[in-house]
Amino acid sequence: MPTCTNTHTGGQRSKKGGTFSAQPKSVYYALIGLFQVLSLPHLASRAFSTTVRQMKNKVPDCQKVFLEDNGLPIHIKGGTTDVLLYRLTMAITVAGTGFSCYWLLFASFPKSKA
Amino acid sequence: MAHQAHAYHMVDPSPWPLTGAVGALLMTSGLAIWFHFHSMTLMTLGLILLLLTMYQWWRDIIREGTFQGHHTPPVQKGLRYGMILFITSEVFFFLGFFWAFYHSSLAPTPELGGCWPPTGITTLDPFEVPLLNTAVLLASGVTVTWAHHSIMEGERKQTIQSLALTIILGLYFTALQAMEYYEAPFTIADGVYGSTFFVATGFHGLHVIIGSTFLAVCFLRQIQYHFTSEHHFGFEAAAWYWHFVDVVWLFLYVSIYWWGS
Repeated sequence: MPTCTNTHTGGQRSKKGGTFSAQPKSVYYALIGLFQVLSLPHLASRAFSTTVRQMKNKVPDCQKVFLEDNGLPIHIKGGTTDVLLYRLTMAITVAGTGFSCYWLLFASFPKSKA
Repeated sequence: MAHQAHAYHMVDPSPWPLTGAVGALLMTSGLAIWFHFHSMTLMTLGLILLLLTMYQWWRDIIREGTFQGHHTPPVQKGLRYGMILFITSEVFFFLGFFWAFYHSSLAPTPELGGCWPPTGITTLDPFEVPLLNTAVLLASGVTVTWAHHSIMEGERKQTIQSLALTIILGLYFTALQAMEYYEAPFTIADGVYGSTFFVATGFHGLHVIIGSTFLAVCFLRQIQYHFTSEHHFGFEAAAWYWHFVDVVWLFLYVSIYWWGS
């Protein structure tokens, strides 16, 4: 099953931002950082054009998965990962509600003196 | 198989409103428990739950729109109204903090020395890093508009480049502002000047981070071919939000940094 929640972004250069010296509030140092940032696009275009060429359009595959007439609601229609994530979220919801009730009771009664 | 005879979207039953509400409950009660009993567990659980809810809810909206085709023109119109109303509510949120600033600064009390900035406060030079921040955000407004036109013209590579540049500028603003916060000669505890400065600019910074995240999601979606030249509302919503963040900064800069110094 195609992983429609795939967030692959391909190779990205890490930001080579301006080196922040401890010198405070010097526009000069900040502008150097800005010039370094602005030089990124021509570097980024090399990385991004590779990414662009490699990325295949998986939208039609995802459309097939999510338009299948299997009666599943949208939040678990994507497969096993969906179900696991849903169960984890619900578990935290229930446990958290119970936990907050416990703390409410704890906070409601006066502290016993040791 | 039944087919709907209208263009509107009848959503599938979803657990995310409930989990989101419980997440908000846990975060708020958890905050109180942290303050009084020094335990961060409840608040942390709430934060995790909120993040899980946001991820899954917005993932589902993308599925409904991009993969199932539910975002017809009438549905999109509703989404547009929704985003506009949300941004309007955020405008009112910031209006409150500007009200507080002007209330204190237009009639400074004797406790402050009867002047603004108050006695003893060394303000930041508005023509140093704050001016650079202004230029950075204005530039990012240009690059996000460039990205929009690139999407509408079907220019995939240019869209990706301009969107990436917008996000980088947003991150650069955040880094510069973090440096300013660290180096500032006054703190939030320094009277009403400190309070108004850090609460107003702090909430703005949070909105820059939210806006950058929204744009980053759009960046990932653009790479995955989600947007077409005619239909790309997710991006438009992110761009509207980004322009709003930019405008709030301009008001902050003129009022607090410039006039207020």
